[in-house]
Amino acid sequence: MLMHVRLTQMREGERGIVVDIQGGHRARQRLLGMGIAPGTKIVVVKSGRPGPYIVAIGNTRIALGQGVAKKIIVRREL
Amino acid sequence: MVSCCSVEKLPEEKKDGLKVIALAGNPNVGKTTIFNALTGLRQHVGNWPGVTVEKKEGIMKYREKEFLVVDLPGTYSLTANSVDELIARNFILSGSADVVVDIVDASCLMRNLFLTMEIFEMGVKKVVIALNKIDIARKRGIRFDVKKMEKILGVLVIPTNAKEGEGLEELKKAIANMAEGNVTTNPVIPVYEEPIEREIEHISSLLRGTPLEEMYSIRWLAIKLLTRDQEVIKLVLNYLGSGKMDEILKHISELEVHYKRSLDIVIATQKYEFIDKLMHQFVIHFGEVKETFSDQIDRILTHPAYGILGLLGVFYVLFKFVFTIGSPMQEFLDNTFASLGEFVARFIGNEAVRGLIVEGVIGGVGSVLSFFPLVFLLFIAMSILEDSGYMARAAVVMERIMRKFGLPGKSFIPMVLAFGCNVPAIMATRTLEDERDRILTMLINPLVPCSARMVVITFLAGAFFSDHKALMAVSIYAISLFLALLSALILGKFVIKGEESPFVIELPEYSLPSWKVVVVHSWERSKEFLRKAGTVILLGSVAIWYLSTYPEPIGSGLSYAEKLGKVFEPFTMFMGLDWKAAVSLIFGIIAKENVIATYGIVYGIGESEEALISLMQSAMSDLQAFVLALVTTLYIPCIATIGAIRAEGGNKWALVASAYNLLLASVVGVLAYNIGLLLGL
Repeated sequence: MLMHVRLTQMREGERGIVVDIQGGHRARQRLLGMGIAPGTKIVVVKSGRPGPYIVAIGNTRIALGQGVAKKIIVRREL
Repeated sequence: MVSCCSVEKLPEEKKDGLKVIALAGNPNVGKTTIFNALTGLRQHVGNWPGVTVEKKEGIMKYREKEFLVVDLPGTYSLTANSVDELIARNFILSGSADVVVDIVDASCLMRNLFLTMEIFEMGVKKVVIALNKIDIARKRGIRFDVKKMEKILGVLVIPTNAKEGEGLEELKKAIANMAEGNVTTNPVIPVYEEPIEREIEHISSLLRGTPLEEMYSIRWLAIKLLTRDQEVIKLVLNYLGSGKMDEILKHISELEVHYKRSLDIVIATQKYEFIDKLMHQFVIHFGEVKETFSDQIDRILTHPAYGILGLLGVFYVLFKFVFTIGSPMQEFLDNTFASLGEFVARFIGNEAVRGLIVEGVIGGVGSVLSFFPLVFLLFIAMSILEDSGYMARAAVVMERIMRKFGLPGKSFIPMVLAFGCNVPAIMATRTLEDERDRILTMLINPLVPCSARMVVITFLAGAFFSDHKALMAVSIYAISLFLALLSALILGKFVIKGEESPFVIELPEYSLPSWKVVVVHSWERSKEFLRKAGTVILLGSVAIWYLSTYPEPIGSGLSYAEKLGKVFEPFTMFMGLDWKAAVSLIFGIIAKENVIATYGIVYGIGESEEALISLMQSAMSDLQAFVLALVTTLYIPCIATIGAIRAEGGNKWALVASAYNLLLASVVGVLAYNIGLLLGL
C-alpha cells in the first residue's frame, strides 16, 4: 500500500502525518496557520463524499473542501 | 486594501495619555468574552478605516487608572493574505500598542502559539498571554506548569476561564503592571535550521543601517522576505533597490531548491517543531485526543442531505425570531412616530417648517428607528449562531451550492434574511471572514426581494393577473434571484478582484453562548448601524419631502417630483412606463411599498385601493404592470438599504450598489418589455 497519499484518499478514522502541502500561496498559508503543516499528526474524522472532510489536529477540528484536501499529502499510519 | 506598514492613526483617546492595550489571538479562543470582561459596558463598535472589518474599542479600568483596549481581528497568522491579518499585523507593527495581550486556547495550544511566535518575531516585547479555556484543557487532562511556561516563553502567562470570570482580575493586574513598565520581559524567539538562519543573517546584514532598522524588527523582515511576503518585498524594495533585492530573491530560490519546497512551508514546519520543543518543557500532561460528542453531531450536521434539513430548521426559527418579534415592533415605532408627527404638526403654523419637521425630520428619524428592533434582533440571532459554533457548520453545508456562484457557504445567511428585510441582511455580511466575499454578498443582496417589495409584487399580481397571481409573483422572484446569482458570478469576476477564499474552516466545539456577550455586542453593533445608516436615511427623507412639496404639492402635476418624472419619461418609456411610474419609483427609494401609494397620490384618489386598481387597469397593460413589478424589485435599493451598505462597506460600495441595480433594472426592464411586445402580450 502506498504510504504517501492525498488526504482525499484516506478513509474515516485513519491517522497519518502531514508530509507536504501543495497548492497556491493563500490556501497553503491558511493551512499552515491553522496548524496543518508537515509533521502534524492528523486524524480523518469524516471523509468527504458526501460533504466536506473533517480532520482533527489535536483538539482542533477543521472542515476542508475537496480542492484543499487534495493538496494535503499525508503519510498514512498503519 | 490596507497597504503594509502604513502606520495606523492613533486613536483619539491616545492623546489623553491613555495606554493602549491590543488584544490578539486566533478566532474562537474567547477573545470577545475577554474583551467584554476587560471593558464592561464601556465599549464602542466601529470599522477599521477604509475596510469593512469590525473594530471594537473599549476602556478598561484598573485601580482608578484607565486603559484603551483595542480588539484586533481574530487571525491564525499574520501573513499579507487577508485584510484581517494585515490590520492586526499593521497595528502591532505601528507600535501603537503599549501592551499586546495574546489570547490563546489552552486546549489547542500548539496551533495558538504559532501566532504568539509571529508576534514575538515582530520584536514586540510587552506581551501578556491569556491562557484561556483553561477549564476545557483541564477536563481533557492537559496540565501546565505556568511558572515554567512564563520562564520559557519569556512573558507573563495568566490562566483564564473568561466565561466564568476566572483569572480576569489577575489578567487586568498583569496588563496594568506591564503597561506601567513594571515588568521586564524577554520573549523567546524561534530558531530555525542552519541554512535558514544563515540566510536570515545575510538579509539582516543588508537591512542594517537602513531606516527600516528604526521602524521594524530586522529579523522579522528577513523571515517575511523568505516566505515571499508581497507587502514586505514591496517595502524593502523601496529601501534596498532592485539590485540587492534580486540578490536576495536569488538566494531564496536557491534555498527553495535545497529544501525542494517553498520556504513558507519550511519555516512554518520548523516553527511548529520549535513550539513543540518548548511545550515539552512546560506541559506536564498533554491529555488525550478522543472522538467527542461534537464529532458525532458534526457527521450529521455537515452531511449534504441531513445537514441542509437541519439548516432549514435553524433558519426557519431564526427568521421567525427576527421578524415575528421585530415586525410588530417596527410597526409600533412607525405608528408612534406618525402620531408624534400629527401631534407636533398642530403646534407649527408655518406650512413649510411644519412639512420639513413632520414629514422630513420626524418621518426620517422614525423610519431609521423603526429598523432598530429588526437590526438588533438580527444581531442577537447572529451572535447566538456564531458563539454556539453552529455558524461554521451552516457555512460547511452551503459551501458546495454557493461556491458554484463564486460565493462562500456563509453568504447564504444574508441571502435568506433578505427575504425579510435587506437592512439586517446586509448587516449580517460582517460574519463573513473575507473582505471580497463580504462586499460581493453585500452587492447582490438588494436583488433578493424583501417583504416590502413582496407587497408591490402581490398588489400588481392581484390587480392585473388575477387568474395567474402566483405564477406572476413566482416569476418575478425567480428572475430576481437568478439575477442575484448571475451578478455574483459577474461582479466576482470583473468588479471585485481577488482570489476566492479557500474552503478551510475551523469547527469550534459547540458551546452555550453567554447572554451578556450576545446582548452587549448586539447592542453596540446596532448603535453603529443607527449612527452610520441614520444620516443617509434622514437626508433621503428630507430630500423626497422637498421634491414632493415644492413648488406645489404633489398631485397638482407641478411638484418637482412630478416634473422629474416627466424628465425621466422618455427614458422609462423604453420599458413602457410613463411619468407616473417614474414618480412612483422615485418615492419607492424611500421605501419600496411607496410605489403603489404614490400612484394613488398622483392620480389624486388617496388610499382607496379599489379605485386605484381600476384606474391603473385602464391606464396600463398587463405587460406594463409586470415590468413595473420587475423594475420595482430590481432598481436602486431603498434608502435604508443604501444606508446599511454605506455603514458596512463605505460610500464607494453604496454608490456601486445603487448604480449597478439601476443599470440592471433598466436593461432588464427594457428587455422584458420589448420581448413581451414581440410575443404580442
